[in-house]
Amino acid sequence: MVKTPQFVDDHMRTIIVGVADFKFTTDPSTCLATYALGSCLGITFHDETHRIGGLLHAMLPTAQLYKEKKIRETMFLDTGIPKALNAMVRAGAKKHDIRCKVFGGAQLIASDNFFRIGSKNIDMFYKISQELELDVVAWEVSGRINRTIKLNNQTGDVIVKIPTKPEFLR
Amino acid sequence: MKAAADFQTVVEMTRSIPCAPAILPKLLKLTEGTSSDLGELEMLISLDTGLATNVLRTANSAYFANAQRCESIADAILRLGSKTLYRIAASTLTGRWLVNPVRGYGWEPGDLCKHSLCVAICAETFATSMHLADASTAYTAGLIHDLGKFALAYANFSVLDDIASRVPDEFSTWREAEKAILGYDSMEVTKALLENWGFPSTFVSVGYFYPSPSQAPDEDRMLVTVIHAAKHLATQLGYGVGVDGFYSNPDEQALREAGFREDEMDAAIPDILTAIQRFIRPDGSVHFT
Repeated sequence: MVKTPQFVDDHMRTIIVGVADFKFTTDPSTCLATYALGSCLGITFHDETHRIGGLLHAMLPTAQLYKEKKIRETMFLDTGIPKALNAMVRAGAKKHDIRCKVFGGAQLIASDNFFRIGSKNIDMFYKISQELELDVVAWEVSGRINRTIKLNNQTGDVIVKIPTKPEFLR
Repeated sequence: MKAAADFQTVVEMTRSIPCAPAILPKLLKLTEGTSSDLGELEMLISLDTGLATNVLRTANSAYFANAQRCESIADAILRLGSKTLYRIAASTLTGRWLVNPVRGYGWEPGDLCKHSLCVAICAETFATSMHLADASTAYTAGLIHDLGKFALAYANFSVLDDIASRVPDEFSTWREAEKAILGYDSMEVTKALLENWGFPSTFVSVGYFYPSPSQAPDEDRMLVTVIHAAKHLATQLGYGVGVDGFYSNPDEQALREAGFREDEMDAAIPDILTAIQRFIRPDGSVHFT
């Protein structure tokens, strides 16, 4: 269900997560935000009991194509998600208490052969979420829209911003 | 706010925007090849205080500086070299022009600048790695490819909101909606602006044909296709993409004919991102030096 935004007070600190990056916080009065997901996926991780929140901004589905190169693990879903979960657990979160929400994966007009990063990312996230038995409580993916998201570590709520539309919570 | 939006009004209004990137064609000519006229370059750069400052600041930055400080534009030109110089100039001039607050596309101030910069970097990467076009030309073409949209947004027509609200249900692409609702599209505005500013015909072709490179003149098609590919890849990356961004149709025929393959484009993304993140910080701010 889409909630009306009643999000955070202006005094909450916000940590910005760049593209191909993961950050977490153990401070309940801190938000994690990432801008303009496009076809990338923004995945929030939140342990409500321990008030530990994380945000991954991954750009591509798999690091398999880049075996010859030095990679940034957080650029890819198949390397970034395990890394994010490990970091959350090391910070004190319990794996079975972590709830995930996934955003982004915007897609261009259907093309059979080009520019399918959005749909590939969504497919890969679904596969990984099954394999790792992630508790995914919100999907706000696909469509032709660019999303900016902000996780409130106090509540686990995520505010979603879309060009020309009112903000909403997931 | 204006409800109506005739083509000539948009072009006339945009001409008066300060610091339009009109000196770029001359700069490109002066910096290409090896026969740069140092005196003329110095004069051209010195005409623009902001540009001159950026050139000097970059020449004295940790990356370029040596024991000797660079205190004149002429010294800075020699130290930086023509390619770096041109990149600074193109980014400074178009960047400044593209950061004004605008309406109609759901952009935050600076979004079009960010997106255009990403298109420029993608285009430069493809042009270089696939040997499809001159890298500097592709970079510039990426920066200026969507000036018409900026001009429309700058003109502040309320009818742009109408386009945004009707695209998903009534039109499959943004361009179709512009054509139906305005009677012309933003590519025609880009074309008129670039012609008015004296840009070479290749850039005019890019501005007009980039959504459908198959229709571009033979002599320009390769560069137009590079920008088409760069535009779509940059859109997927999300930087500065407005409500219009995902409503365009890939021209698969042109992409295939130019030799583009999806797996190769995807493989280029990590390097492209690294290049982009030299200019765009995680908070979205843009810095050129």
